[in-house]
Amino acid sequence: MGTIIEAVATATADGEPSAGAVALADAAARSCLERAHRTADDVELLINAGVYLDRNISEPAIAALIQEDIGANPEQLAGAGQGTLSFDVRSGACGLLTGIHLVDSMLASGTVRLGMVVATDADPEPGVSEGFAFPALGGAVLLSADASRPGFTAFRFATFPEFAELFQSAVDWRENRSGGYNLLSVQIAGAYAERALECAASTARELAATERFDLGEVDLLIATASVPGFAGELGRRLGLSGERVASPPDRLAGAHTAALAAALESRRLAAGRTALFVSAGSGLTVVAALYRA
Amino acid sequence: MDEREHWMALERADGSPYASRFAGIGASIPERRLPTDELMASTRYQTDIDLEQLTGVRERHVVSVGEDSYTLALGAARDALAHAACAAEDLDMLIVSSISRHVGGMRLQLEPPVSVALKEALGARQAIGFDISNACAGMMTGVFILNDQIRQGRIRRGMVVSGEYISELGRNAAQEVRDVMSDQLASLTLGDAGAAAVLERAPAGAPGIEVAGFTTLSEHSRLCVAFPAKIGPGVTMHTNAREIHRVAIENALPMLREVLDQAGLEFDQIDYLVPHQTSARAINKAMAEFSAGLGGAPKHVVITVDELGNTASTTHFVALHKYLEEGRFAEGDRILLLSLASGLEVGIVIFRVDQLAGCYGNHH
Repeated sequence: MGTIIEAVATATADGEPSAGAVALADAAARSCLERAHRTADDVELLINAGVYLDRNISEPAIAALIQEDIGANPEQLAGAGQGTLSFDVRSGACGLLTGIHLVDSMLASGTVRLGMVVATDADPEPGVSEGFAFPALGGAVLLSADASRPGFTAFRFATFPEFAELFQSAVDWRENRSGGYNLLSVQIAGAYAERALECAASTARELAATERFDLGEVDLLIATASVPGFAGELGRRLGLSGERVASPPDRLAGAHTAALAAALESRRLAAGRTALFVSAGSGLTVVAALYRA
Repeated sequence: MDEREHWMALERADGSPYASRFAGIGASIPERRLPTDELMASTRYQTDIDLEQLTGVRERHVVSVGEDSYTLALGAARDALAHAACAAEDLDMLIVSSISRHVGGMRLQLEPPVSVALKEALGARQAIGFDISNACAGMMTGVFILNDQIRQGRIRRGMVVSGEYISELGRNAAQEVRDVMSDQLASLTLGDAGAAAVLERAPAGAPGIEVAGFTTLSEHSRLCVAFPAKIGPGVTMHTNAREIHRVAIENALPMLREVLDQAGLEFDQIDYLVPHQTSARAINKAMAEFSAGLGGAPKHVVITVDELGNTASTTHFVALHKYLEEGRFAEGDRILLLSLASGLEVGIVIFRVDQLAGCYGNHH
């Protein structure tokens, strides 16, 4: 029994520059369900992995707002079968893959039968926030269990706290003449991209070693770290040629938590093929996963 | 898909190769106390609100200089490890579930995840670490995740930890609350605390977690929202308190029945029910309705909100820690944890105290 990807979708703010993070996630989730010919009520686990959210909201979980918006079992109906559980994962650029890991577990245990991980980021206060350069993007990945396909077969998590200072973001009070205001600031050091590459490459090699597979067997690398050019360079370091690296459109090259969905959407993975997922993010944290379609 | 008879996400009764149990519960309560009359004396407007009479909250503990969400979480995590008699290196998973993420005073940290620093400070080198957020149901969600992983044998041992520095919401509310109808009234009940729970694979045949269920009734998702304040540092929370209490009680009743049925239990077979600690009046009202609807009643209902306030995601585990330290539980006692939180989240865990009873007080 393997966890397989039923569908993936993204939504951008094209034409609607004021579109918020929740609206982008709603749109991506709806599109994803449509592609899989599923209804919202089929989703029994909904995880949001977005970090930069409307009004920097901290409660409730954004996943609950998205669940209500898309109409996934918003109200309890007697005899209507299983409802939906929603919560957020807050693990930066590794959040979407971490969410997939949690869905994989609950599918395997039979606790849920269909899970969706959404990720979304949009500048909560354009023109006010400092250092926010991620393109507004929502993404959704729909997952289910399939007895005939391997799907996700292994995950590896790694943390490199010595590089924690390279990627920081916070909301903090800033005083001014009229009193002050809470300000979101995002700071990514110039050295982050190189360190993310090193950490991602080492984690991918460790996954290959523990799972006893040759990186040369990888048909598609899907890699994200919130910086343009990351996937191609990681592919080069792992010995994977450019045609085996998924690349989202240039305008989404610096996308954050939803970047993995954009990369996944950019390429079709044929049955029997092997994909290597690698996400690197603040912390520095890395999650790598092996997927056999 | 095959039809299911239950609304909640529940682990299947069959097929799990292992059981899980609580190995240790830890807490970190700031020393400084803030009596309700002192907080209400600080309100900007003359409110005429008798908060203690209304909610039963006599006082709450609040952080001092140098304490924040992170330090509370770290203290609770170390306490939980000590009671669980295991090393941080033995943890396979570390989940941080705080709503408040104040690291370095009032600074609200979005990235990196707080779990990165906690993992390093504890020395949990082997642990998969990540943060989750699920309002006041955060720690219970972590328990639900860990239980799922342990029962399948994916991990042997994990920790969920939360540090809530939320008294600052009360300070902000004190500047804006004008009367009892204020949507920030609930913020005046909040207190600071850290809590942690270590879960592990139970030895074969040993009692532990008997059932865990969770669901989100999102038609009520916008009844309680929190975001950075406009009036000063920190956060403000806006709650339609009457409505969220009404729908929480109404929706929890059938969920309790589902979980009790799954465990093959009646309501009066519960020795201690630990609800989310919002106000003593709300808890008592809910218990009366649950008893009427389910028949019978648990032998004890745990209330700590009078002396600790509402400590958000940590309430259940702060209460468990207090009762364990005071030696109130016996090994055979059956506990029901009931989480009702913004979302609307409904989470229920039933477990046997078992070996936990011997790990506290004079035994530790």
